[in-house]
Amino acid sequence: MTQTQSTRRSVRILRRIVASEYLVLFLCLAWFAVLAPVAPGFATPRNLTNILAALLPLLVVATGQTMVLITGGIDLSVTSIIALASVAGSALVTGAGGLLDASPLAVPAGILTMLAVGAGVGLLNGTCVAILRMPPFMVTLATMMFFSGLAIWSTQSRSIHDLPPGLLLAGGNVWISAAVALTVALAAHLVLRRTLLGRWIHAAGQNPKAALVSGVPLQRTLILSYLICGLAAGVAALLITGRLETGSPVHGRSQLLDIIGAVVIGGTSLYGGRGAVAWTAGGVLFLTLIDNSLNLLSLSHFAIMMVKGAVILFAAFLDTLRSRLTTGT
Amino acid sequence: MKRIALFCLCAAALATNTCRSAKNDAGKLTVGVAFETLQTEYWVAGFEAIKAELAKRNIIALEAISDSDANRQLQQVQNFVTLGVDGIILVPKDAKTSIPAIRAANKAGIPIVLFNRVAERAGVDFVGVQADNFALAKGTVEFMIEQARQTGSPHKALVVLGDLGDLNAIGRRDGFEAAIENHRDIIEVVARVPSEWNQEKAQAGVVNALQAHPDISFLFTSSDFLLPSIVSALKASGKFHRIGEPGHVILGGFDGDATAWSLMQDGYLDATGVQDVYFEAEASVQALIDSLEGRDVPELIRDPGFVIHQGNMHDLADRMWGAVISRR
Repeated sequence: MTQTQSTRRSVRILRRIVASEYLVLFLCLAWFAVLAPVAPGFATPRNLTNILAALLPLLVVATGQTMVLITGGIDLSVTSIIALASVAGSALVTGAGGLLDASPLAVPAGILTMLAVGAGVGLLNGTCVAILRMPPFMVTLATMMFFSGLAIWSTQSRSIHDLPPGLLLAGGNVWISAAVALTVALAAHLVLRRTLLGRWIHAAGQNPKAALVSGVPLQRTLILSYLICGLAAGVAALLITGRLETGSPVHGRSQLLDIIGAVVIGGTSLYGGRGAVAWTAGGVLFLTLIDNSLNLLSLSHFAIMMVKGAVILFAAFLDTLRSRLTTGT
Repeated sequence: MKRIALFCLCAAALATNTCRSAKNDAGKLTVGVAFETLQTEYWVAGFEAIKAELAKRNIIALEAISDSDANRQLQQVQNFVTLGVDGIILVPKDAKTSIPAIRAANKAGIPIVLFNRVAERAGVDFVGVQADNFALAKGTVEFMIEQARQTGSPHKALVVLGDLGDLNAIGRRDGFEAAIENHRDIIEVVARVPSEWNQEKAQAGVVNALQAHPDISFLFTSSDFLLPSIVSALKASGKFHRIGEPGHVILGGFDGDATAWSLMQDGYLDATGVQDVYFEAEASVQALIDSLEGRDVPELIRDPGFVIHQGNMHDLADRMWGAVISRR
């Protein structure tokens, strides 16, 4: 074999790896294999349960974000949706003066409130983007600021406790959390892969003008994708509130980089048109493994932040590389 | 591609079997130190003081910072449990959201000490080491009132509040109000600025208050880390003058950081309530050791702190952590 042939073969293999749908899964396995012998307790059953519990809320909210990113948009407001939904649902049912305190309707009303807040903010974002044609970055940045401020103002920064056990069940029990998160992820996966809406979402991200000419109801598709994203953030609020047994206006505040990072690491394109829930699940797993293992190694907070930042940057670079490989530019 | 996947799976299985325990061979004690943030000098000083105290006693310190995220803090405590640490020192996010993390440590039988902030005792066991925020804030403000009385004229006051979800902030606010209560003849509180422990919010709030009440001449901040914002606002309003100069705003704070020390040396800051970080670090580690050795430990260990002012600053500088940092 000549040197030229060998180089071509290497490039071909590299292309296949970079373009592979399973790249992030390989990265997860490689990370696990490398870190397990050196990070104490990393591969123990107890820690694997910890990893599962940690990744579930992130998986739910990142699943919603995947829908929006495939359309070529972005939703920066998901963290403030988590905060607002958490305090709205909790304030309604808290034993410390909630409107539905001790009511048999408290639990369903609390859950529905969280979901309604998520869907409502998602609908607002979608309407601004699709009907008013405002840039998604600006719209969701503004709603992030507004709703985050609203959550803090409405609670005066106070956490809300004394919540009914039924409301805490979804987030407090890791297996129920897993069931909820997997249901959301599976439903989103089926919507994207098996339904007309899924095809419209991909079409909207690949080429909006062509999609419009082809009869895709672009406005409705965009509104629905933001609404689903908001709804997913509402479910994440339910899980986080249950896990921490408290409604708080700062829940999720520092999660935005993890949410978008997980989706992009998974392989969903920042340019729109390409993505899958299964990829996002891989990205969520990879980011959680990094966080958990570096923490077990007792690395400093700043080192963990630097590693995570570098991994997300690398994923964004891979995304660009993939786009070039697939378009041949 | 299948071969690569198979290789990774084999490697993972091998790693799972060979993974090692957190307990180190030398049999040294291991303590997990989980802080909510390192965003202010106070927390950095506390973190370093605890690590130094642990190192002095030949104890291994594992560190984790949750970046103000209660969910991450819970994961970090669960990681400590997984690692089988002997004790945990935790700065909780707030009084309520950290309860599941404390419960996780309780369930694993690992003693846990809450450094500087305490949580609600909602069915969980912990030892709290905390400054007496109420008494220290009250003492500081009472000293400021003495200074105000010496001017012979009434004063309009502004107080910068912390995050009222934080029990420390509430204690300091209540200490301020209690000190003022008996001196309404000379002090009128015209502005209560909520900062949520945020520099920008504090700065904007103080600027607005000084515009609305240009005659404010008495200012207490719930934390010294907000002093740069406050100084900036005072300068913008032409009210930043040394003690003894006409137009001086009687200025007091809480914490005892390096900025406070610098302002005190330059003659701008009248007094600040100092949390004794070194006492708190030593008491936290000692409480863990006492718990591990089965000795009785009180539920709450109070850091008495002290009020430092122009009259005693040179005598107490060695105990003021901000001064110690500055000298380094």
